Amino acid sequence: MMQYTALPEEVLMSIEKPERYIGHEINAVYKDKNKIAVRFGMCFPDVYEIGMSHLGIAILYDMFNKFEDTWCERIYSPWVDLDKVMRERNIPLFTIESQEPVKNLDFLGITLQYEMCYTNILQVLDLSGIPLISTERTWDDPIVIGGGPCSYNPEPIADFFDLFYIGEGETRYRELLDVYKASRAAGESRDEFLHKAAKIPGMYVPRLYEPEYNEDFTLKAFKPLYDDIPTKILKELVTDLDDTYYPEKPVVPFMKVTQDRVVLEIMRGCIRGCRFCQAGQIYRPVRERSVEFLKDKAEKLLKNTGHEEISLSSLSSSDYTHIEELVRFLIDDCTKKKVNIALPSLRIDQFSVDVMEKVQDVKKSSLTFAPEAGSQRMRNIINKGLTEEDIINGAVLAFKGGWTKVKLYFMLGLPFEKEEDIEGIAKLCNSIAAAFYEAIPKEKRVNGRVNITASTSFFIPKPFTPFQWAVMDTPDDFIRKAGLTKHYIHEQLNQKVIRYIWHEADVSMLEGVLARGDRRLSRVILSAYKKGCIYDAWSEFYKHDAWLESFKECDVDPDFYMYRERKDDELFPWDFIDCGVSKAHLLREWKRAKEGIVTDNCRTRCSGCGSARFDCGICINGR
Amino acid sequence: MKVRFKFSKHGVLKYIGHLDLMRYFQKAFRRTDIEVLYSKGFSPHMIMSFAQPLGVGVESDGEYFDVEVADEEDISTMVAKLNEQMAEGVVILDVVKLPEKFTNAMASVAAADYELNFYKESPLSTALLDKYKAADAVTFVKTTKTGEHIINVKEFVFDIALKDDATLFVTVDASSAGNLKPANLLEALLKLEDKSVADYPFHILRKDTYMRDASGNLVPLNKVDYE
Ligand code: SF4
Ligand code: SF4
Repeated sequence: MMQYTALPEEVLMSIEKPERYIGHEINAVYKDKNKIAVRFGMCFPDVYEIGMSHLGIAILYDMFNKFEDTWCERIYSPWVDLDKVMRERNIPLFTIESQEPVKNLDFLGITLQYEMCYTNILQVLDLSGIPLISTERTWDDPIVIGGGPCSYNPEPIADFFDLFYIGEGETRYRELLDVYKASRAAGESRDEFLHKAAKIPGMYVPRLYEPEYNEDFTLKAFKPLYDDIPTKILKELVTDLDDTYYPEKPVVPFMKVTQDRVVLEIMRGCIRGCRFCQAGQIYRPVRERSVEFLKDKAEKLLKNTGHEEISLSSLSSSDYTHIEELVRFLIDDCTKKKVNIALPSLRIDQFSVDVMEKVQDVKKSSLTFAPEAGSQRMRNIINKGLTEEDIINGAVLAFKGGWTKVKLYFMLGLPFEKEEDIEGIAKLCNSIAAAFYEAIPKEKRVNGRVNITASTSFFIPKPFTPFQWAVMDTPDDFIRKAGLTKHYIHEQLNQKVIRYIWHEADVSMLEGVLARGDRRLSRVILSAYKKGCIYDAWSEFYKHDAWLESFKECDVDPDFYMYRERKDDELFPWDFIDCGVSKAHLLREWKRAKEGIVTDNCRTRCSGCGSARFDCGICINGR
Repeated sequence: MKVRFKFSKHGVLKYIGHLDLMRYFQKAFRRTDIEVLYSKGFSPHMIMSFAQPLGVGVESDGEYFDVEVADEEDISTMVAKLNEQMAEGVVILDVVKLPEKFTNAMASVAAADYELNFYKESPLSTALLDKYKAADAVTFVKTTKTGEHIINVKEFVFDIALKDDATLFVTVDASSAGNLKPANLLEALLKLEDKSVADYPFHILRKDTYMRDASGNLVPLNKVDYE
């Protein structure tokens, strides 16, 4: 038996982890390419272990391969060692399944999960031999389509894509493929096809739109070039999550990937409207899957993968209506099957402490809280409906259950932040430590003492959040604030048990620029790529200086995107997208943030965000 | 009940390392209805023992592992059940029941034989083999945590023969104490003619893995003597 590999043996034997590139994993889909009308390549522009852990891709892979006329294959970024070899030896980028060049495909779909993957997109196109700029492509090249959270502001990478799919992938791909097939059969040009595609709901063809700028480079207008192309693009979403695609036989990698487990997506969206959080807005409204659906999938998935762990996935699992029933079922079923249960994003309360005691090794595991801000004042500003009392009560419950390790996540640089808010981080950590000593008598302290880890990241304003108007902190501000946090922690009585870690500031700056960027940034990204930037999301490969040079060469000022106060009525580069939540609602939230007024979550009271027009989920059945 | 499986590993699966192969088999068992026994404790794991791990890039016709299954399992259907769950490239060839207290696969291994095949230019010749046989010591340097050691491969080679101009057949020590990697043997051999293995790409196929029977003879790991 000979299985073909795109990489010759001597290459596979000379690189790290050749398993990344060979395919043939359990449940990978192989089809006869001669009986297929459309070949779709689904790319996660990062290394295999990261990309293979992504549920969204698994869902779309399954959906495409259920289409009889379509074969969907996977593509990942070659790791830096292989990247070098491929360039030296002119080996074109290949798909995992057929091991054939990406260029042979009809579509190259690229998922955009974080801004820092943008240079990897260029790496994928470049290694595939596909022109980097959309307008330079011909029918010899696949149609390059982007999707995922970053496509909610696709403008910085607009030049590189033929098409963006705005919203959830399950709804419109069939239509797109049919238009493609008809277009090819009729012998139409690539431009003709793209023009037709632009009329399908959710599709955005960047080259059919033109931005017009004011003198200060803010947007003056953003209009389609043709009358028959929509001016606003409404996001796509699945209205009934029990009646849609969900893979029952996901690919099981040979190598240990980040998510080496069954992942059960219990719902989409989040009832909470934390004002910094993009996911909380763009996935509205909350839609749940039924317990029956989930029980059935859990059993099939465990059976078909052989995984020894199952994890629930959602933005805020405690808010799932039937969480107790589901978790109890899983505990019963999984204990029999010797399957571990992972329960991330559960709020710490009596129920979660009870179940966690059953599914975790209490002594080894740590509890996680994400208060995001140290003071109540700041938690009100960001609309994090979590009080100090909630946190302390949760921690005490956990301490009584035997936990001694607590992790806390905070953000620095939030809008309207004062020094007292930063001090609040230290004080909160100290109060938790004090609560431990108060609640647990000396003889019962399992590991002797409590361990608190406070970690801060830097706030980055994101499109489609109430904070999209906010000014971002400079790297100097960030470093100063991290220093202040450290200083205040040292001042605390219990400082010895508090460990403090913070994230780098340079990377945050670039993320801040790309997140709220416009089309002028495509040139900068291209220039950074040409200077050798790839894998920017990996701090060991991030080349800050190369990025700064690229901004200079392209005569684009990064400060414009970060440090500028945006006016209430400014036209944003992403405003042509309608994510369901209205700009009026976001602005209202921005104003309420300034005044520190909290807004109710969707379950308590609808705040009329605009998503009710989708006529599904919590907007119609939630309260 | 302890059972010993024999399997082969070919094609692209040769790039799967030993740890991942173990995980692969654990998941494969969980996809069947064969009831495998687990260790006790907070995170129970399957009780498995693999014979000598295969290097990345090496194919094999004779790999083994032991696993403990529920007593009521039917051994006659196990090979078929597990084969249904295999990726293309791994084939389950046999399963045998092990007597009580039988030494586990890992500890049983005494030797393995390999076919080494040069698929471009071959440095092999009868003259080279004669040199090998005439020499007192044929060595390579092994670097370990404790430093560099000079290893005389002749102490670990049980049999060596040319199959044709490009193919060498060897039987070597594969016990956990004295395992000789075929690539190291080649390195030592080619050094006799001042050649470097790096210049001669080759394939390695492990033909089978052996234990010693009661009279000290090498027998394949699945030829269990029930006497
Ligand atoms: S709870 Fe807040 S931060 Fe978490 S997903 Fe929901 S809105 Fe975002
Ligand atoms: S319309 Fe109301 S209930 Fe629906 S998502 Fe918006 S705020 Fe929530």
